[in-house]
Amino acid sequence: MEYCCDGYRMVSRRSLLAGALGLASGSALSQISLRERRDPDAPVLVVLFLRGGCDGLNTVVPHGEDEYHRLRPSLALRRRDVLDLDGFFGFHPALASLIPHYREGRLAVVHAVGSQDRTRSHFEAMSAMERGVAAASEHASSGWVARYLNERASGPSPLRSIAFSNVLPDSMRGGTSGIALESLKQYRLRGEDAQARRFRRSLAALYASGEDVLTQAGRATLEALDLVENLPAAPSASEPYPESDLGRAFAQTAQLIHAGVGLEVACLEKGGWDTHVAQGATSGWHAALLDDLARSLSAFAADIADHLNRVTVVVMTEFGRRTYENAGLGTDHGRASVMLLLGEGVAGGTVHGDWPGLTPESLEEPGDLRVTTDYRAVLSEVLRRRMALEKVEAVLPGFRGQGIGALA
Amino acid sequence: MNRRELLQAALVGAGASFLAGCGPGLRSLVGSKSLGVAELPPHPEPLARTLNRVAFGFNLRAAEEVRSVGRERWIERQLDADEDEDPWLALQLQRLDVFNLAPAELRDLPEGEVVTQLQQAAVLRSVYGRNQLLERMVEFWSDHFNIYARKRFAAWRKPLDEVSVVRKHALGNFPGLLFQSAKSPAMLEYLDNDANLKGKPNENYARELMELHTLGVNGGYTQQDVQEVARCFTGWTIENRFGRQRGTFRFDPSQHDFGEKTVLGQRIPAGGGVEDGERVLQILANHPNTARFIAGKIVDRFIGDAHDEWRDRLAQLYLQTGGDIKAMLRPLLLSQALLDAPPIPKRPFDFVVSSLRALNATTDGRGVLRYLVDMGQSSYEWPMPDGYPTASEAWTGSLLGRWNFALDLLRGEVPGTTVPALEGAEPVEATLGRRAGSDSLSALLLHHDLRREEALALCLCSPEFQWR
Repeated sequence: MEYCCDGYRMVSRRSLLAGALGLASGSALSQISLRERRDPDAPVLVVLFLRGGCDGLNTVVPHGEDEYHRLRPSLALRRRDVLDLDGFFGFHPALASLIPHYREGRLAVVHAVGSQDRTRSHFEAMSAMERGVAAASEHASSGWVARYLNERASGPSPLRSIAFSNVLPDSMRGGTSGIALESLKQYRLRGEDAQARRFRRSLAALYASGEDVLTQAGRATLEALDLVENLPAAPSASEPYPESDLGRAFAQTAQLIHAGVGLEVACLEKGGWDTHVAQGATSGWHAALLDDLARSLSAFAADIADHLNRVTVVVMTEFGRRTYENAGLGTDHGRASVMLLLGEGVAGGTVHGDWPGLTPESLEEPGDLRVTTDYRAVLSEVLRRRMALEKVEAVLPGFRGQGIGALA
Repeated sequence: MNRRELLQAALVGAGASFLAGCGPGLRSLVGSKSLGVAELPPHPEPLARTLNRVAFGFNLRAAEEVRSVGRERWIERQLDADEDEDPWLALQLQRLDVFNLAPAELRDLPEGEVVTQLQQAAVLRSVYGRNQLLERMVEFWSDHFNIYARKRFAAWRKPLDEVSVVRKHALGNFPGLLFQSAKSPAMLEYLDNDANLKGKPNENYARELMELHTLGVNGGYTQQDVQEVARCFTGWTIENRFGRQRGTFRFDPSQHDFGEKTVLGQRIPAGGGVEDGERVLQILANHPNTARFIAGKIVDRFIGDAHDEWRDRLAQLYLQTGGDIKAMLRPLLLSQALLDAPPIPKRPFDFVVSSLRALNATTDGRGVLRYLVDMGQSSYEWPMPDGYPTASEAWTGSLLGRWNFALDLLRGEVPGTTVPALEGAEPVEATLGRRAGSDSLSALLLHHDLRREEALALCLCSPEFQWR
């Protein structure tokens, strides 16, 4: 068996020499100025994944349908509590801060959207969506965001794609440009300046070659250190972000957009949507999550108002929840849910998609909202219309469907 | 210039004369298979590889112990796992309330403190435990039967789960572990099986039980099976009545669905009580797909993925021995494959623990925790039931956290943690368990004449140390 597989690559001649002779001195990229990286018109994609299965029915509420109220005697939002959008659908009251964006056409909703994955497993459904395939059983070893970045193959910025999370999400796997971090402030090598610089040079020599995943990641990390160190301060936000992980992630995404460091994709996430027990209605667990979501989105829209013509935010979740409530006043794993689209390029002020209805015969076993829009129809439209991507099939393999008009 | 000349030039430039210092380590490198000297970093030393896989990382003292006992006997001892614990470790653990109070009494402690003490114990045991394989398997099962301590009251229930489920059965047999896990209040709470009621079944546990604990996602069950299994477990809950031992398992017949069920084609007759769920566990524990799934995960953890023959062999052993975990581990740990298989990425917890071990650090296990948060692997805080990921791609964002930990550790800035001077030990050998050679790390250390702390930090930060 050949020994030199993934991890321990052979040390190449170059690195051997460089290491031994002390030739490597920092990354080549650090010599390119930030200004040269700037493409002020480059589109930016912000993907927010709501992990755990967001209850779409109690987010964008079909309050005009009697079945909804019958199926959820305790959890249904009463008509007088929802923020009506069109006489049939209404926002959960915790989404109040999104109403102006919806009314002014910057925010669109897609309802009854989801994947073809019927396992109702978080991991399978997330895995399908993050890899951009119809169902988890379909092959695609990389994530759709990674493939999108590979397709664009544009800027050399190590800050092309950032996940504000501890762990790189599956959607970013299979590319080399993804880095995961919790906060830009933490993104530095600790120690006295001179020492830290010296240490950085040594690290650059150690990570100079090697094509395995971790060594490549080491190089990207060193480059990103250079960039973040030189990041200009953020202008003060016009609308405060919530004091939450999500609020901070959006604030820092905005900072990177303002700074023009070549950010192309930001992947954000918010967990906690797996509301099997005591999810609450107008208040409680689910409402608190929505409140954070709405205020974060709204503050972000205000913060980057000048850039909203090139920024598109996509909010998605792996599945919705059972149409009827369970004994624990929660809801079990279901099928369709909602997606939200924010940006000046969206066909806002509308709830898109075909509403399948909640009558017994229109539900999917064992009592779930039917998926009438493939989530890839929405993503393909975003990629084609907003990201100006021609070869959408390279990012969403096997998807042949049409868009649904959710983009302007 | 050919490769050899280039190599020599580099070495002369660095002032190294590694061929002259050809100790036992290097001889085995040069002598092994067809590896030439240019193919570096070298094949791991058997001792280093053994300690990196069977234990939580290389350390000069541990290597001496394995060498003197003999590798095979040392592995047998690890399988027995009956070494007396280090008295200092025992003392540290005694100070932790979570393992000395009953679940009901624990409720007086704030959640954060309970979680911290659990994490602290995990670090302490992994660094100092003499039964290192046991700790490795505890880590393995803690992922397999993941419990998110921040869910409702799970934090206060987790210490009992840790002691009487995971640690007790980590090297026992799988069906036993599975049965105890199913009745563990922490698991009942985490996967909502305590809220699984007659007429209103909650499918959470039923699904994860088959998808993640036993059969595996393509293990041959259907949505119908998930619903039937959920019905079997109705009435399983946590004791919460006065005058009883609160926080223990309880079967509540008033919430049990006594109707007939069919699970994986097997009929479970009407009228059964708690035994319906037990029957399900039995069916799953005996299922060949469970054997394959568990075997595959164990093989992945110890020799990396894509080893079909080993998976089949361990699955066979599972079926022959009724899921005896040691019986599966023994041939794998004693195999040449363990020594020869490609490297496996260290996850952050492994990185931190192996760093502390390599440097003989003294730690209270508490000060290092925030670094693990930074790197994304804070024990008992993975919300999803699949456990922390093992793929290297998942951890590419953790390198900066690792570098900063190494820097702080060698500067003495990690709270509650000190590193002895380690006089005399050569940095590459102390951390990587091999002689310094012609690799870029060794060359860099030689050339730059770094201070000892800086050299050690660099070793911990090197690409090579990120693998086991």
